[in-house]
Formats: sequence, C-alpha cells, structure tokens
Amino acid sequence: MSKPKVGFFDFSSCEGCQIELTNYGDTAFLELLNHIDIVEFREAMTETAGDLDIACVEGSFTREADRARLESIRKRSKIVIAYGACAATAGVNALKNHQADYKENVYGKDAHMPHLDSSKALPISAAIKVDYSVYGCPMDKYEFLRIVTHLLHGKEPVIPNYPVCMECKRRETVCRYEDGDHCMGQVARAGCNAPCPADGIPCEACRGFVDQPNEVALVKVLKERAGFSEKRAQEKSRIFTAALRSDSK
Amino acid sequence: MCNCCSSNNHSHNYDEQNIFLPKEAKIVRAVQATATERHFTLRMASGEKMKFDPGQILEVSLFGFGEIPIGLASSPTRENTFDIVIRTVGRVSTAINKLNEGDSLFIRGPLGRGFDLNLLRNHNILVIAGGIGLCPTRSLIQYIMDRRSEFKKFSLFYGAKDPSQQMFLEDLANWRKSNDVDFHETVDRGSDDWKGNTGVITTLFKKSSITPDTKVIICGPPIMFKFVIAELDKIGVARKDVYVDLERRMKCGVGKCGHCQINDKYVCVDGPVFSFDEIQNLEEAI
Amino acid sequence: MNVYFLKEHDFNSFMSKMIESKKVIGPVAKKSKFVFDKLESPEQLRLDYDVTILPPKKEFFPTCQKLVCFDGNKFEGCINPQEKILFGVHFYDVKAIDMTDHLFSEKNQDWNYLANRKATTIVASNIQKVSGRAFFASVGKEVGPKGHDAFITKINGGYVFEAITDKGEAIVKFGKFEKASDSQKSEAQSANESMLGKCPEKLKYSSSEIADKVRKNFTNEKLWEEAAHDCFSCGSCNVVCPTCYCFDVQDDWNLDQKTGTRSRYWDACLTEDFSKVSLGGGHAENFRESRGDRFRHRIMRKATYLNEKLGGPACVGCGRCSSACTADIADPVNVINKIMEAK
Repeated sequence: MSKPKVGFFDFSSCEGCQIELTNYGDTAFLELLNHIDIVEFREAMTETAGDLDIACVEGSFTREADRARLESIRKRSKIVIAYGACAATAGVNALKNHQADYKENVYGKDAHMPHLDSSKALPISAAIKVDYSVYGCPMDKYEFLRIVTHLLHGKEPVIPNYPVCMECKRRETVCRYEDGDHCMGQVARAGCNAPCPADGIPCEACRGFVDQPNEVALVKVLKERAGFSEKRAQEKSRIFTAALRSDSK
Repeated sequence: MCNCCSSNNHSHNYDEQNIFLPKEAKIVRAVQATATERHFTLRMASGEKMKFDPGQILEVSLFGFGEIPIGLASSPTRENTFDIVIRTVGRVSTAINKLNEGDSLFIRGPLGRGFDLNLLRNHNILVIAGGIGLCPTRSLIQYIMDRRSEFKKFSLFYGAKDPSQQMFLEDLANWRKSNDVDFHETVDRGSDDWKGNTGVITTLFKKSSITPDTKVIICGPPIMFKFVIAELDKIGVARKDVYVDLERRMKCGVGKCGHCQINDKYVCVDGPVFSFDEIQNLEEAI
Repeated sequence: MNVYFLKEHDFNSFMSKMIESKKVIGPVAKKSKFVFDKLESPEQLRLDYDVTILPPKKEFFPTCQKLVCFDGNKFEGCINPQEKILFGVHFYDVKAIDMTDHLFSEKNQDWNYLANRKATTIVASNIQKVSGRAFFASVGKEVGPKGHDAFITKINGGYVFEAITDKGEAIVKFGKFEKASDSQKSEAQSANESMLGKCPEKLKYSSSEIADKVRKNFTNEKLWEEAAHDCFSCGSCNVVCPTCYCFDVQDDWNLDQKTGTRSRYWDACLTEDFSKVSLGGGHAENFRESRGDRFRHRIMRKATYLNEKLGGPACVGCGRCSSACTADIADPVNVINKIMEAK
C-alpha cells in the first residue's frame, strides 16, 4: 500500500505549528516519515502536489479572498485537519474581532495599506468542512503524531473533552491557585499534558474550551481567588478563546 | 520481549488471573444484518466451547482500536460457536464492522449476570424486544426454542423502527411459521410492501393474551420500558416477574471502572439483566 | 508483633540502609506541597507533611497503567509487580488503601492492582501536621485503619515503630531498633490520639445518619443544581480522592504502527463525557447529563452507595478534594452538613 500523501498549508498564522513539527529533536518525526509522504510543506520544501490524503491547514480564515484557496484544498483532500489553534478555533487572531483600533495599534502609520485589510478572524471551519482539529498554540507535536497514527489506521482520533486540571492533578503539579496565581485550566481542553502549570505558568486555554466551559464560575474564581478586577476577570479568557466564548463576535 | 517496556522480566504467571487479558476468537461468518448492524458468528481460536448464560455480555476488542461491551446474541445450546451483532457507532465498532470471515476478534468473557433460567423454566414467558434489543434477547429466545419442553407458553413481541431495520430475517421467517412461539411483530413506520402491524410495541398486547402468571423479559430503548411496564401493570404481572436487560456505558466489564454504575449497582457485573423490582426504585436506572 | 524504639539520631542511617536495598517511596516536598515519590536519600523524606497532592494509591494503580501490550494480533499482559516499601502513609490513606484493596478484589480480582499491592510493604506514620481542610477525625469512625504492615510514630527523642505483619517486622533489620518501653508506647498512642482533635473541619453526624439523609435527597434537584452551580466538571475532586478508582481504557499504537498498548487512565465521574454513550450518527446519550447529576453522583458514592460494601463511607476525610477544587464547592463537610441541616 502506498503511503498516505500529506500536505501543509498556511493562512493567517505565524506558521509556528509547522515549525513545531520539525522540532521533535528525536527520531519520532523521522519514524513518522516511514509511514507518510509529506508532499507539500512550505516550511521545508518547494514542491506542490495534486490529490492529498491529509491536508493540515494552519491559520485562521480572515479574508473572503482566502475562501477559494481553502475550498480547493478541501476538494483535493480526503481528510482536512485544522492544524493548531488559529485554524481550529481562530486562536489569538480572534482577539481583533473585539477591537476596532487594532490596526492602528499594530501597524501604526502603515495601518491603511490595502494588503492589511481583513475581516473577522474565524476558524477555517467557517469556510470549509473540517474533519479533525489539532488544538494548541503551538499544537502539541506528540498529540499530532497520535492523531496521524490513528488516521493511518482509519480510527477517529481521541481528543479529550475534559479540562487541563485533570492532567495537572495526574502529574501532581502544584495548582497555580495554591501558589497565589491564577489559571484557566478548569475550562481549557486537555490533551497537552499540562506543561505550562508544571513550569509555573498559568494555563491560558490555548487549546480552547472544553465543550461546556463554566464561564460564570471562571470569572468568579478569577476574582475571588486570584484577586482579579471584574473587567480583567471578564476578559481574561478571551486571549485564545475569543471565538468560543458566549460573547464571541 | 515486551514491546511496551522492552522488558524481558514480565511475570506471566498472572496471565491466567488477568481479567484484562482477552482470548482470540475467529470469525466464521459475517453478515450485514442491516445498513448499520453486522452479525458475526465466532469460534474461540483455541477450539474450546464457551460456556455462558443467555443475557451475558462479552468485551470484544481489536488491538489499537479498543474494546466494547456486546451482549451475546446466540444460545449456549448451539454448537461451539457464538453470535454477536455490532452496530456501527464509534471507533471500535466501525473497525470491527469492516472485518470478514477468517479475521480475528479478541474476547473477554462471558461477563455479568444473564437470565436466571431456573426462574424461567416451567413458566409462561413473554420476551419484548425493541430495535437492537433483539440481539441480547435472541440468546434466550434460541435457548427456549431449543429446549421448548422446559417452558410453558412462549410469546415474543418484536418492534423495529421500519422494515429495513429488522434483523435476523431467517429467524423472523422461522418464528412466523413456528407453532412453538406466539410471535408478533410491529414497525413504527411501515413501507409500501409492509403488510404487518404498524405502531409502537405496546400495540402488540392486544394481539396476544398474556396472563398475569407470565415471566416477562424486556430489552430495548429506555423510552420503551415505561410504556411496556404500564401495560404489564394492567395485566397484573408482578414486577418481580419482569426482567430488564439494561444498557450503559460499560467499559471494563468487570465492575471496576465505574462508568456503568447506577446507584450501588454495576450494570456489567450486577446486570445487565435485572429484575424490575430490583431497580424500579433506583434513580437513574430507567 | 513487636513494638520498637529508634533513636532520633539513628533514623537517617536506618532510612539510608533501607533505601540502599529496597525501592522506598515516601512523602517529599514539591514546592509548597508534598507528593509521594521514590526516595534517593533520607533527607528528602518529610514525615512532617500535612497531606500529599495525590494519594498513595498511585503506587498500585498508576495514573496511566499498561494492561495489554500487542504486536499485531499477538498480545500479552503487563502485570509486572516490583517490590517496594511505601513509607510514611497517614492513617486516613491507610483506610483508603484498604477500601481500594477490597474494591479491586471483590467479584473479579484485578491483579493489575493487586500484584502491585501485594509487592508493597506499607509503613504508616503519625500525622505531625494537619492539613487545612482535613476532617479525618469525624468521618467513618466505625472503620479503623488496617492492611498496613507497620506504624511509625514520632515521639520525643525518636520513633516508636510497631511491626504489625512479617513484612513490617522485616524492616527492623535496617536500623538499630530496641524494644520500646511502656512509656514510649503510651507517648506514641497519645501523639496519635491528640492529632484527632486538631482537624479544622468536622462532620456533625454519624455515617448512617448521613447516608440516610443524603440518599433521601437524591431527588432534590434544586439542592444538587445549586451545589454544582460553580462546578467546572474538571474532575479534580475525583483525581485527588484516595477512594476514587474509576478509569478509562484507551488503545494506542506505537510509532511503528504495528505494536502498541492498551492502557487505563484515571478517569473522573464529574467530567461531562464520563457516562456518555455514543449512539452513532453523531448522537449520544448521557446518563448523567447535568453538572448537578454528576455532582450528586460523587456525593452519593462517597456518602451512601458503597457503605454496605466498605462498612462505612467511601471518604476518609483527607480534605484533598476540598483544596483541589478551585471553586471551593467540593468540600464534603460543607455539602453534607448543608444537607443534614436542611429540613
């Protein structure tokens, strides 16, 4: 049986998730190459190919003009994976949906150059059908390996619908709240094995929310236990989940 | 050498006692029962005959895909093969339903508590099966048919959503003709060539005469239980004489993992067959 | 069996000798908290710990445990017990281990747990510092700690070591133990008894009163909904609980795409998907759909469901769930006292 053909594509993103794939630093990635053929990958090669078994699409859908390119990727791919937070949930890009003056703040005097025009930042599922999502900013390369392994066998990947707290507890990380800090692990989708709290950094929910996040309780805990102001508590979870919150735009 | 830990030191003395270690079974027949259900006949690879009670369950697995609980769908009175029917719903069932004759499946069991035949023998029996509820009850139906003289009057009500959802077509044809079973069937929605009864399963009660001294077995979607029980109450069947075959998210099949727990009962160990008076006061059961 | 005394200044050499010849697991510091971990040196041991993040059951029932290894259609079990000494277990955790021993033994014996358990020598220790949410003195008083092999208690100038089983007696050879005097024994006894008075939290009713009333409130939907209003369904209360033992089983292939493992992972009945059954076509049925349903299940399981099997509630008052819950709604003392005081 010939090896499945896999392509990588990018839209509005930093392309960091593609770089992350080449960062294994061990034999895992090379071992994976025994089982798949990467036929399109701008970060490491110049070739392009025709039909694909798996298309990994990085980045958000932010311009109507990108729809045609997304549709053409969909058309020639058996499976489309939203690859990384920007593609899966619109990630940090969706922050701009809540701000009118982002261009001036980011680009200064260049703000009115036409190539900087864009509409709302949306997950790619707003434009095309997505079969599976690899969450995270950046995506977890080991989770990606597991997802690809499952797809090679025709098995739907297992993506947790429980929060990061479970993973912190399983590895006995001292809770950020116990250290007087804040955290959003209670509403964040697990699957990364909670590396940030283990390193003393709060979870920012870069993998998005679990299916039913308790946003009201999060605000309450951020205020009562982390000492946040009402405004900061209300807005805290927006960084990676602007497109998932009940007030998404 | 063990592939998971590269150890040569595993103590395999525990294999006999390891409740998570499956046994290989070979598929001797695979038939697409409906668009979504596949009917497998299996034989243990060792050739040994599996001993089980009607109503018991198996954990069926494929390595890499996982394990699912499945009710045995044939009677222990039959040869040294056994049947299971699998509906394509998730990762494991999707993978299993791609298999064919000659392929292997991996089995743990029989597990759980099936039907207590001693309580059923020498009594009138009514089996009420809705949808895929016919699969686990088929083990009891076959048993009764094979040992017909051990039971008194035997009635069987079977309901399916529509004629295309009917399973075990050969069995149905036999039961329609047989004098050994008072068989009635219905579909929720008929089709152009459907000449039988149309309506919910309780409409079959008026087609038969069920007496209060009947032992009743119910298996089907949760919504069905309530309506059937109401009919049985009207007839005057005691609730201790009603047995239900429950479905839950069983995972380990051996009463450990907690997924199928209802109150203090584990469906996979204390059931899946319960007498109705055992569970009627257990919240979350029905 | 015998009761010994070990002088304070002989303690580290005792621990060193034990660590040299056996794998010894004990409480060690992790930032401001404590965890059970393999001891490399006696100095790491912190018998003055209040409570560990995870209970010691992880030594028999790891958070991820391989059950079956496979290579295509060939497979084998992964039971591979390693002898170890679990040193410094507080009595509430000893009670909890005795409960999981029972639960993994009843009906179908699970040797994936039991083999590890049987290979372990448990040395209990007195509580020198009580954690901020503990209520071990007022819960399940009818069930005493049992199943441990020895009990070590810090007293003035040293330790009283009570060997309870042969496995416990076998440890004595690592140190300069002498027979304990009656006054040392009674000092140890009062050290243990005095800690019972220091719990910051207290259940005010007996186990059977609680079991009855909690059970009667099963259908009090409003109560459970309110109690679970701030619940994240995060499962932290389950994962840190010494008497919780639910698990999920998952298969995975290794990178060679041929070999792999079937493993079990600690699961949590508070999480949304715990009782969800896939019906196909994207449909599912969840037998405990709401936060309140799941919150109730946990309280029922701790306060009533297992009482008959265990002789008392499936809660030992360690207070781990109370402090692990960021919304601070999991505390069984608060939940149960509230139910008991309602009319």
